[in-house]
Amino acid sequence: MNNSAQKYDVIVIGAGHNGLVAAAYLARAGMKTLVLEGRGVLGGAAASETVFPGFRVDSGSFDAGLFLPEIIDELQLEKHGFRFIESPAVIHAFQSDGNSLTLWRDPQRTAQEISRFSPADAAKYPKYLQWLRRMGSVLERTLLMAPPHIPDLTSADIWSYLPLAIKARCMGRRDLMEMVRVLPLSVSDFLDEWFECAALKTALGAAGVFGNTLGPKGTGTTLMLLYQSMNAGEAGFRASRFVEGGMGCLPQALASAARQAGVEIRLAAPVHQIILDNGEVTGVMLSDGETVHAARILSSTSPRATFFDLVGAPNLEVRFIREVRNIRYNGSLARVNLALSDLPAFNMNPGGNDSRERLSGRLLFCPDLEYLERAYDDAKYSRFPQHLVLDAAIPTLSDSSLAPAGMHLMEINVQYPPYSLKSSNWDDKREELGDCVVEMLDDYAPGIKNLITDRQVLTPLDLERQYGLPEGCIYHGQMALDQMLFMRPVPGFANYRTPIEGLYLCGSGTHPGGGVTGAPGRNAAQTVLKNR
Amino acid sequence: MPEKFDAIVIGGGHNGLINAAYLARAGKKVLVLERRFVLGGASVTEEIYPGFKFSVFSYVVSLLRPEIIRDLRLSEFGLTILPLESTLSPLPDGDYLYRDGDHYRTVRSIARFSPRDADIYEDYSHMMYFMAKAVRPILGMVPPDPTSLNPAELNRLLRLARQYLGLDKEQLYTLVRLMTMSSADFLERWFESEPLKGTMAASGIIGTYLGPRSPGTAYVLLHHYMGEIDGAFRAWGFVKGGTGGIADALALSARSFGVQIRTNTAVKQIIVRAGKAQGVALENGDEIYADIIISSLDPRRSYLDLVDVATRKNELPADLLAAVERYKFLGSSGKVNLALDAAPQLACWPGIGRHLSGAISISPSVDYIERAYDDAKYGEFSRHPYIDIIIPSMIDPGMAPPGKHVMSCFVQYAPYYLRSGDWEQQRQAFGDAVVDTLSEYFPNIKDIILHRQVLTPVDIEAVTGLSEGNIFQGELSLSQLFFLRPAAGYARYRTPLRGYYLCGSGTHPGGGISGASGRLAAMEILKHWGANQGGQG
Repeated sequence: MNNSAQKYDVIVIGAGHNGLVAAAYLARAGMKTLVLEGRGVLGGAAASETVFPGFRVDSGSFDAGLFLPEIIDELQLEKHGFRFIESPAVIHAFQSDGNSLTLWRDPQRTAQEISRFSPADAAKYPKYLQWLRRMGSVLERTLLMAPPHIPDLTSADIWSYLPLAIKARCMGRRDLMEMVRVLPLSVSDFLDEWFECAALKTALGAAGVFGNTLGPKGTGTTLMLLYQSMNAGEAGFRASRFVEGGMGCLPQALASAARQAGVEIRLAAPVHQIILDNGEVTGVMLSDGETVHAARILSSTSPRATFFDLVGAPNLEVRFIREVRNIRYNGSLARVNLALSDLPAFNMNPGGNDSRERLSGRLLFCPDLEYLERAYDDAKYSRFPQHLVLDAAIPTLSDSSLAPAGMHLMEINVQYPPYSLKSSNWDDKREELGDCVVEMLDDYAPGIKNLITDRQVLTPLDLERQYGLPEGCIYHGQMALDQMLFMRPVPGFANYRTPIEGLYLCGSGTHPGGGVTGAPGRNAAQTVLKNR
Repeated sequence: MPEKFDAIVIGGGHNGLINAAYLARAGKKVLVLERRFVLGGASVTEEIYPGFKFSVFSYVVSLLRPEIIRDLRLSEFGLTILPLESTLSPLPDGDYLYRDGDHYRTVRSIARFSPRDADIYEDYSHMMYFMAKAVRPILGMVPPDPTSLNPAELNRLLRLARQYLGLDKEQLYTLVRLMTMSSADFLERWFESEPLKGTMAASGIIGTYLGPRSPGTAYVLLHHYMGEIDGAFRAWGFVKGGTGGIADALALSARSFGVQIRTNTAVKQIIVRAGKAQGVALENGDEIYADIIISSLDPRRSYLDLVDVATRKNELPADLLAAVERYKFLGSSGKVNLALDAAPQLACWPGIGRHLSGAISISPSVDYIERAYDDAKYGEFSRHPYIDIIIPSMIDPGMAPPGKHVMSCFVQYAPYYLRSGDWEQQRQAFGDAVVDTLSEYFPNIKDIILHRQVLTPVDIEAVTGLSEGNIFQGELSLSQLFFLRPAAGYARYRTPLRGYYLCGSGTHPGGGISGASGRLAAMEILKHWGANQGGQG
């Protein structure tokens, strides 16, 4: 067993975006920081990999729209090569009758588009965006700080919540009450209060269930709808943005900023165990037996992996372990990546010369919210999906460098194949799922089958195996009302600390949760620095 | 000279009567007006078939608050509650789960399905008992208007709440979970066996248009646990003589305080002048005047039907009207009342015995109920519904002729809005689905039915006036509870119209026969009595 001579102030486990964000902030504050990543690539589930020769495939998330602008500024990521691509279209919702709806980044253009379906909805749309903005601004504030340690709030904490309080006060009483009323609503009920057009409600509402195992009639899905509308910028309802050069350029920029601040990053260095002495961390042991010492460890892996695999249940109180065991993951998202020899010809009405533009954002294949609900029913009963809902993108339309000349890449999130199948397993069903997705796409883009030169199918099981996402849950724990704020990851430990002295969490399993925001990493680093 | 009262209560349901009784007890001259020939609203007993008495709608009580029974001396006025001592959950495979007041027998029954569940069952009961006890004061409290939501204030409130409720941290977290989780997820934190989870999850969906896997249903679980406080196990009971017995006792009590009650007297609208309620106009054209008008009807009827268009436009704020219009009712339950020629026989437990004296719950698993909900969420009644059965004649022989029985089946789901067809066409098909389901567990049921009364949400609405047939006067969902019930800023029983109040289940704390709304509204009215009278005569 060899011992690394190097001694660090802090070790960050995992080089996903949250791990890298945390490391960068810690190093900038003068801490000697080491990042250990088990895989050979940076980024965790926000990476780009050469899955197909000549292609840069976003193997996990392809949309970085939620990434906090504060982090981009503070870490000067643009100097490190990071650039957003803001496609003219945010969402193109395919309708089964071919009459599709595009929600543009330009709200006026969107309102025009909506008026084709419903003039009344088009008239309400600007008001809706204003409303979202008012609600969103308060939510954005809550992202930027550790959640209140309810019920033991210290007076020092209270000061730090002052900006949020001021923001909340500025909303006015009526809006505040409205927020309390609206958060537990289902997206389906919530959107019914605003709009009449099914296509519009589908295009907007799908964000409320993305990545979660709840249908649009599920209580509390409006909370996720608001979450997805944060930092939405000009578009106002959803911050869909790609990263120039592929999602992997975000972790690369983060790594570059981190290294500049003095962070050391080791890839292909899987941590086997967190070493404890008398209930305090002293370092980690890698899979090859090497030990590295540090008095503080930040784990960006899931609570499950951190406490069961790295710490070990016997080192924790029974009650705490029970809470960790009871975190609901329940993933139901799969991923299909397609290498295409040409751009597929989608049935689009209105088609014509702006069709490339219409396809530039997220592509939603979901006839209506009821269909979405039925798709969720499949997951509820652990069935192989009978209804597929696809949330896709063709990033090569905005960035041709991602594929060989003339070719295209289509990345498809498939909602909701359940992690556990009742009467089968994903190793047997993987390719069948891929076939079903292609069959479905072929209805919307006849002939797409013949354009596919390569295909990758990642079932929830694969997402778990490959990225350590427990049960394939992309958020490191369902984003449901009972697993948010001071309840995330487990109540009493929402402030990034753990029962073990020196061990912190900084991944999506902590407040505010999943999606490529970087907020958990930033908040966790600030907590560590405060307690230095 | 038209008649003049201190207060007029519209609607002679339990909340209306309780409200009237409390006001009269404080010395006010009170008149109760009931549209139907019988008092009680949804808690009525009627002889639908000769010799057979039915608790037509509401069929069990547990939530009726003890201070109301005490204050209004309801026992003296003949209210007798017969305890419902057990819950039997028959299973499709011929087995059953039986829970009753005998703790060891209950645990043994559970242990046949899961020894682990049996071990933990008592802990769970303690936890829920404690949570219900802790939350109960909220039911007895006028909801605060959280004008400030800044964290310091919030924290102060939380601390206050914590002290007040005597909750420690763990309990506070449990409370958050109860407020946000689905009943299935909440129960799955504790139990593993399907029969137990199924039958327990059922109480999380009663009266809601949600399934056991819908977040928010754990709260309803707790809401129904409130009834378990005063007694040991499931302190639910039926009223001797049927649920109408409550109204009878309440009416006697109210009259003893001087309340006048008129049935067959339908109110058309309230009379409003200069922003103040002055009286009521009856359907027959008469007018009756009073200083205070209280509606025990649901928010939609109280604000939209009882208030004329001009007043609504001029006197009611737009945000209130918008809130009332989107306030969700969506009744989801039906009722099938059966007159039986003989005792029903359970396949899993033949013979007549104590097991038939309690509740019989057709809720074999969480998935069973969830599937029933799936039908409903797409606008169909459940093909295999959840059914809560009681046979009141088993312990109250006066309900049916000797040797014969009445069977009350509360059925979920029967959505108010059907995808295709209307309830007029579907009523019998719905009844058939219920009887077919029953016959899977009671093989003799089809041979002994003398009469069948099928009540759909549309019937419930037509007879009781409950909008969309919602038995709680509006969904008990997070968006419609506490200071949001019925609308944010209007949760303290007062309306923007001076002298006009609400006291029905559509106000905090909500449905079930608790009477809390009626009582709390009376307290508020008495508190503000002087202010309402000022300047008007």
